[in-house]
Amino acid sequence: MQVAIRYAMPVMFIIGSVIYGTMIIQLDPATLGNPDGPKFFPLFVCAGLLVFSIADLVNVRKQIYAKNKDLELIAQLKSFKLIAIIIGICVIYTLIFEHVGYLIATILFMGALMFYLNGMKKWLLNVVVTLVVSVSTWYGFTELLQISLP
Amino acid sequence: MKRLCLLFIGCILLAGCSENTSEGKGTFPEKNIEIIAPASPGGGWDRTARSAQRAMNADGTVEEDITVVNKPGGGGEVGWQYLMQQDAHFAALNSSLLITGPLLGQTELTHEEFTPLAMLSTEWLAVAVREDAGIDSGTELLEQLKEDPKSLVIGVSPSLGSGNHLAFVQAVIEYGIDPTELQFLVYSSGGDIMNALLGGHIDVTSNSLSDLSEQYLAGEVDILAVTSPERLDAFPDIPTWKEQGIDMEFPHWRGIMGPPGMSEEEIASWDLYLSEMVETEEWQTDLENNNLEEFYMNSEETKEFLQDQNEFFEGIVEDSGLTP
Amino acid sequence: MDVNIILDGLWTALQPANLLWLLLGAVLGTIVGILPGLGAATGVAVLIPLTFGMEPVSALILMAAIYYGALFGGSRSSILINTPGDGSSIAATFDGYPMTKKGLAGQAMSIAAMASLIGGVMAIFGFIFLAIPLANFALNFGPAEFLLLFLFALSAVVTLSQGNIIKGFLTMFLGLGISTIGVDLQSGVHRFTFGLPHLTDGINFIVIIIGIYAIGEVLYNLLKPQYSGKSNGQDIGSKWFTKEQWKRSLAPIIRSGPIGFFLGVLPGSGGTIASLLSYSTEKQISKNKDEFGKGAVEGLVAPESANSASAVGSLIPMLTMGIPGSGTTAVMLGALVMIGITPGPLLFENSPDTIWTLINSMFIGNIILVIINILMVGMLVKILKTPPNVLYPIVLILSFLGAYTLGYSTIDFYILIIAGVIGLLMRILNYPVVPLILALIVGGDMEQNFQRAMIVYDSPMDILFASPIAIVLALLTVLSLCYPLIAKVFKRRKAVK
Repeated sequence: MQVAIRYAMPVMFIIGSVIYGTMIIQLDPATLGNPDGPKFFPLFVCAGLLVFSIADLVNVRKQIYAKNKDLELIAQLKSFKLIAIIIGICVIYTLIFEHVGYLIATILFMGALMFYLNGMKKWLLNVVVTLVVSVSTWYGFTELLQISLP
Repeated sequence: MKRLCLLFIGCILLAGCSENTSEGKGTFPEKNIEIIAPASPGGGWDRTARSAQRAMNADGTVEEDITVVNKPGGGGEVGWQYLMQQDAHFAALNSSLLITGPLLGQTELTHEEFTPLAMLSTEWLAVAVREDAGIDSGTELLEQLKEDPKSLVIGVSPSLGSGNHLAFVQAVIEYGIDPTELQFLVYSSGGDIMNALLGGHIDVTSNSLSDLSEQYLAGEVDILAVTSPERLDAFPDIPTWKEQGIDMEFPHWRGIMGPPGMSEEEIASWDLYLSEMVETEEWQTDLENNNLEEFYMNSEETKEFLQDQNEFFEGIVEDSGLTP
Repeated sequence: MDVNIILDGLWTALQPANLLWLLLGAVLGTIVGILPGLGAATGVAVLIPLTFGMEPVSALILMAAIYYGALFGGSRSSILINTPGDGSSIAATFDGYPMTKKGLAGQAMSIAAMASLIGGVMAIFGFIFLAIPLANFALNFGPAEFLLLFLFALSAVVTLSQGNIIKGFLTMFLGLGISTIGVDLQSGVHRFTFGLPHLTDGINFIVIIIGIYAIGEVLYNLLKPQYSGKSNGQDIGSKWFTKEQWKRSLAPIIRSGPIGFFLGVLPGSGGTIASLLSYSTEKQISKNKDEFGKGAVEGLVAPESANSASAVGSLIPMLTMGIPGSGTTAVMLGALVMIGITPGPLLFENSPDTIWTLINSMFIGNIILVIINILMVGMLVKILKTPPNVLYPIVLILSFLGAYTLGYSTIDFYILIIAGVIGLLMRILNYPVVPLILALIVGGDMEQNFQRAMIVYDSPMDILFASPIAIVLALLTVLSLCYPLIAKVFKRRKAVK
């Protein structure tokens, strides 16, 4: 598991740079000036990305069993679950944000997070913090800062 | 966990219902008016939107609150896409980018989809060189470019196909120069252009008069020609292109439009608000401070004007060499 | 330079009404500075309607107060919870956050405020004597010079990631790659936008900063084993820094001020480059190299001083030539024009009194800000006492809010979440974040200047030798790339002997 995560980064970068490269080739040519003008810089970046991600892969391979406390932590099912749930809550927040409006979305988001992290026992604290934070940020941004929120 | 799932389901249900809750019919306007500035704070659209907000507040014909929303991105497109989904309480600023966007193939959104409300202001564009450049008139500049199109570097902002760029293209075409031969450097703002011009990194710029006037008054740059039909009151020494034998006129206008499908009544209300607004002292002072000219047209006139502009830009964009 | 004008300016700045505006601006600026994503630009924009009814001079004072208030505030969240809200406050996390972890949060914040004050005051003196010559000097920066300046900044920052140069370059190229998203100015070609109009202007680097730092930090802390849902219970330490800390800080503060001031005058992302470069300079010349990154006070005060000085510097092109060098100064310029002050060469000739009032109020403002900030230390450290389970959801919400106010689009939320996960991985696997962020910030300008240089100059060699400035910058770039190598060789030789 830890080995897989270590390899994942450089491999992801290599795949990314190849995809990036193919996208560069498919770019529209410029209609004025040098038709390849918009491609030069990205091609240079793409090459750099590829070279250094391969170098990194070699490097990672050399030290594949080096001790990394943080890594031991994340390479557990429990950690994956935690991250997945929090990210899931964030994505749902994003999806509903513009439909139900800031206030409702935020109350739901904060509520979900607070109950998930603090458990049911502290329900009073959870509810109070959720409401106070949601309403005060909403008021502060829309009324005091005049920033329009959905 | 169960609770979480329930919450999620709740969210999704809520998302479904909220769309059709606000259907009550009443007289317009029944809530706050929002003016969309399709740009970040600080730019021309933002300034115009905030001037309008201020003038409408001062005028008092609109009793509801007026707010400005910034929706920057895509040369206005993000803001205009946003307007597409709103009702008559929303209006967005526009400019020639609304027309050139689809002509340049950058977007499918055309001006015909919206409800034109008014033209607000215009600025005139000018061509400037450094004071010590040794070029004294517009025709002299064009003559030099005709002999060797690569002899001068021309700076434009904020993009190819912008009013600043196309105004210069129109001038060179009138003089019989192929605009695709010229060397254009593109900068992201009028400020960057002025830096580059004063530092000698570009030779010529085509820019709005307001971005040039400070340095012109300080004697750092020379303005060779302006795109207005007649000399401007504020700058009586600057000759027009027309005087110099180049038959052109190029307003860089800003207008305001509403979402598709507005009712007659709503359009009439906006016509009233805006015609009152442009009369206010606040609006007039803002125009003056920003070197803008009055350019008010009501919704009917604006509709025709936009059609004319569309034809005009179609020709120029084709000649500019920007379309494949 | 007429003494009477200066005294008149001081008198105007000391009017009770103006002092009140100054105070209001300083407080509001500090608050928007602390919140992620919001910054001086938002603060100034919010106040535009308010400034209509004001005396022009008061409006100018208010705006400037918000401006440097936001800078003072910006580093607070970096020091306390390792979440910078903007590029210019990233450097404060390097040693500020480790100080907090050591239980020195109070001292870190008070000495950072002092550093900002001294940097700011040095820059104000610079402003008085050098404003116009410097503004003219900055004009010499054309495509070649900017390209080389950005290259120098990048190389200096990549070599900061010592022992991990490969990973440093890797993340730098990743940042450059992300910066190519959006429309290419020189040709108008849309690149990698996936048909989304929101992406035509590129990805806002602040969204990525908030994602990597704030979201990444929250996820990381939730994973930690010692995480128990209870308060960190950290010792906050004294509010006041010690004499010894002060002694160690003075020289770095004074060295960094001029660096920041000068880089601020150049248009572009002055604050970020200034704070990172001053950090790397201090690290290179310091005797306590090994302490950097572990809570060295020098590593905190240097970027703070540079950042504050660069803010004053960036007012120079805006006021002397009417040319804004950053988003914030562009907003300020717009607001000033609306209230009837037109910055530019004529402003200095026609109404020097306005300028002198502003300068004097900057002095007073800086002092007020230090007082406010030191008073606020007690309040701010309470954040550390908040139970993490309450603090983290709040940080998440503020991050989302901050991202929304930057682009008004939920597309940025997805970018925020993705950046958060990548930030977590980068942190765990020791990929340096700073090269990525700096590359992302300067990448767009760097490419445009590269393209312009390729049009203007015939060959790449001509770019290197375009001007004396270009040659110096090119040399500095080579030097900073080779420095770690040279240092290694020297170390070895010493060891052999």
